[in-house]
Amino acid sequence: MAGNARRGGQGFELAMMSPALILLAAISFIPLFTMIWMSLSKVGLIGGLSFDFIGLDNWRHLFTDPDIGSSWILSLIYFAATVGAEMVLGTLMALLIHSLIKGRNFVLSLVLIPMFIAPIIVGLLGRFLLDPSFGLYSWFLSATGLYDGNILGSVGPALAAVIALDIWEWSPLVALIVLAGLTAVPTDILEAAEVDGASYRHKLVSIILPSILPILLVALLIRAMDAIRFFAIIFITTNGGPADSTKIIPIRLYDIAFRFFDLGYASAVGLTMLVFSIVIATVFVRVLQRKEAVV
Amino acid sequence: MTTHHSRRDILKGLGGAAALTTLGAGSLRTALAKTMADDKTWKQASGTTIQFISENTPPTTAIAANLEPFKQLTGIDVKITQLELGDLVKKVALDFGSGRSAYDVIYADPYQVVAPYHQGLMDLNTLNGKNGLPAVPKGIGDFIPTQLGAAGYFGNRDALYALPYDCPTMIWIYRKDLFEKYHDQMKKDLGFDPTPSDKITWEQYYQIAKWFNGDHVKEVKYGTGHQAKQYDSLQCDFSNVLMAYGGEYFKNGDQVGLLGSAKPGPSTLDQPAAIEAAKFYQKLLKIADPGSTSWDWTGVANAFENGRFAMMPEWHEFAGSLESGKLKGKVGYAPLPTGPKRSANLYGGTGIGINGNATGKQKTAAWLFVVWATSPQTQLAGLKSKEGGGTPTRTSVYNMPEVKKASHPPTDMPNMLTADTMQIAWDKDHIGLRPKIPAWNQADTAVFTELSKMLAGQQSPEQTMKTAKQKIDSATGA
Repeated sequence: MAGNARRGGQGFELAMMSPALILLAAISFIPLFTMIWMSLSKVGLIGGLSFDFIGLDNWRHLFTDPDIGSSWILSLIYFAATVGAEMVLGTLMALLIHSLIKGRNFVLSLVLIPMFIAPIIVGLLGRFLLDPSFGLYSWFLSATGLYDGNILGSVGPALAAVIALDIWEWSPLVALIVLAGLTAVPTDILEAAEVDGASYRHKLVSIILPSILPILLVALLIRAMDAIRFFAIIFITTNGGPADSTKIIPIRLYDIAFRFFDLGYASAVGLTMLVFSIVIATVFVRVLQRKEAVV
Repeated sequence: MTTHHSRRDILKGLGGAAALTTLGAGSLRTALAKTMADDKTWKQASGTTIQFISENTPPTTAIAANLEPFKQLTGIDVKITQLELGDLVKKVALDFGSGRSAYDVIYADPYQVVAPYHQGLMDLNTLNGKNGLPAVPKGIGDFIPTQLGAAGYFGNRDALYALPYDCPTMIWIYRKDLFEKYHDQMKKDLGFDPTPSDKITWEQYYQIAKWFNGDHVKEVKYGTGHQAKQYDSLQCDFSNVLMAYGGEYFKNGDQVGLLGSAKPGPSTLDQPAAIEAAKFYQKLLKIADPGSTSWDWTGVANAFENGRFAMMPEWHEFAGSLESGKLKGKVGYAPLPTGPKRSANLYGGTGIGINGNATGKQKTAAWLFVVWATSPQTQLAGLKSKEGGGTPTRTSVYNMPEVKKASHPPTDMPNMLTADTMQIAWDKDHIGLRPKIPAWNQADTAVFTELSKMLAGQQSPEQTMKTAKQKIDSATGA
């Protein structure tokens, strides 16, 4: 009886949700299936869109294209460096802000400023500040003898610079999320630990971090999803150069789609990015669910 | 080039001057436009609104700032969208893909729009003076021939896809004050007259740059700066050297550059002349301002203005901004140096064309705008515009006495200070024309990416040219 009522309730809920689900399906699945079809076609633009079926040619090209391979490797380096550094720095910033007794809100407001700046503007700021002719940072690094070269025009420093710009912009977001998690750390346990004479390191490792682990995973998931499709800062500062040293996969995808207008091949590349995003998201969500189950 | 003026011409000029005084420049433009066709012809699409999509270039800025005369003349509203070239190409391609005409008048870059999408553009021959529409004033023969060929056609001269609208071309821009001040010392040290001209070789350019790198001058830190960012600018900068050394992107490079080709055949970048050019370019960039590898054309111009170096290959239209900045009166202009084959000055001009999907009054209004925007009167007004303005694409404008006078300082048309240089640069033996092929974006990307790797020390000039050739051949299907 209870089971029937439950099923009846589900039917009603499904009926209520169906308009939204249909709309969602329309705006998600139609583009997805179109993209899959495009990845199997040669797409023409003149006189309206036209698709010529070419089978798996685009996919064969994708898996034998050395440029795509090197862009994926670069993307993984970029992904690990930005997300890793943002998690560490963001958590440290949150812990510091959380420990403040006075002026916490003021400091938090200052720290959050970078994430409110559009990535395009961050890219322009980076380009101007690092310009070898008039850039303030370039001048400072040169004057202090730390680095006298052309930052955005040299292979290693250019990658380091765009990674640093991303970290500068998005570490505050991690800090904000972690800060929200820190308010949920049980104070009675912390006080008991203090009474027992636990050091800050012990409290951090044994109480604080385990308590905020689920929220850390949420921050990681959000940043990871963003890092995969990172585009604007590199597009503005280096455009993938020098020597392709910052040409991560979204920049290459942009070239293929909107410079070469090889939309069939671009669809294949885009779909691999989608699969990668889904795999990363699934892994993180599973870990998150496991942690929540333990808690 | 000599011109003879009849009494009637002089009276016409006096009449024009009187009109300028009484009506103001905008009204004069309207008045003069009426001499191209009668009122009824200009008003036939009155009430129409058209969309013009353009790169954010000085001529469009000047036109956008003074559209009122066109509206008065025709009753047509023109909405202008100005974008970076890459964004423009994207929007135009998607517009063609949609089968509609969201943009009626298109800034048709010969390499990124005309070559891949010429089927999407209207043949302007079908409009020029046909079905009650006005003809191009002074005829299309008034456009500078190399520019008309490069910007207007594809494959052959049967269909005309665009009328030349702007004409940035790479020349040698240098600190005239420094070259004059140190002329004798440089001549003594270097053993040749260093005055910039196409008589100087690229090897001598290198020696001049190296001389400035030394402790001889305090005003600049380096001799030369370049637009060598991994971008279109790097390909442009290199192409000057490539063509000067006799290298070509394809066999029959002049033809593939002037009219273009859908099937250019295999690339010839692996030939000895191209490899020699790459070797020289690598050598030159080693002594150039180290900032060069992060600058595009704007970046290198800013650095020049900031006094970083003494000379650079740069688009001639930067003269306008340089002559209104802190280097006013201190800058000189010359054709680029000569290589073993010639002096090559890369052309980067563009035409404006009409979307093939435009119909009815939209098409008529678009043609009226194209005629007006490329007319001698509008080009003259552009030269005087305080909002920007490029350099004319018509021979008749260069022959106007006031324009001729403006080619020497002091002048209120700073772009005209390059006029003597440009006459040489646009000559068919001096102009540098990159390939006009449908797969140009892929070829361009292959070239600047491989060059960037070479400049980063990751590969040799031989490997660079070989890989670029392979990628170009793959893109063109050769």
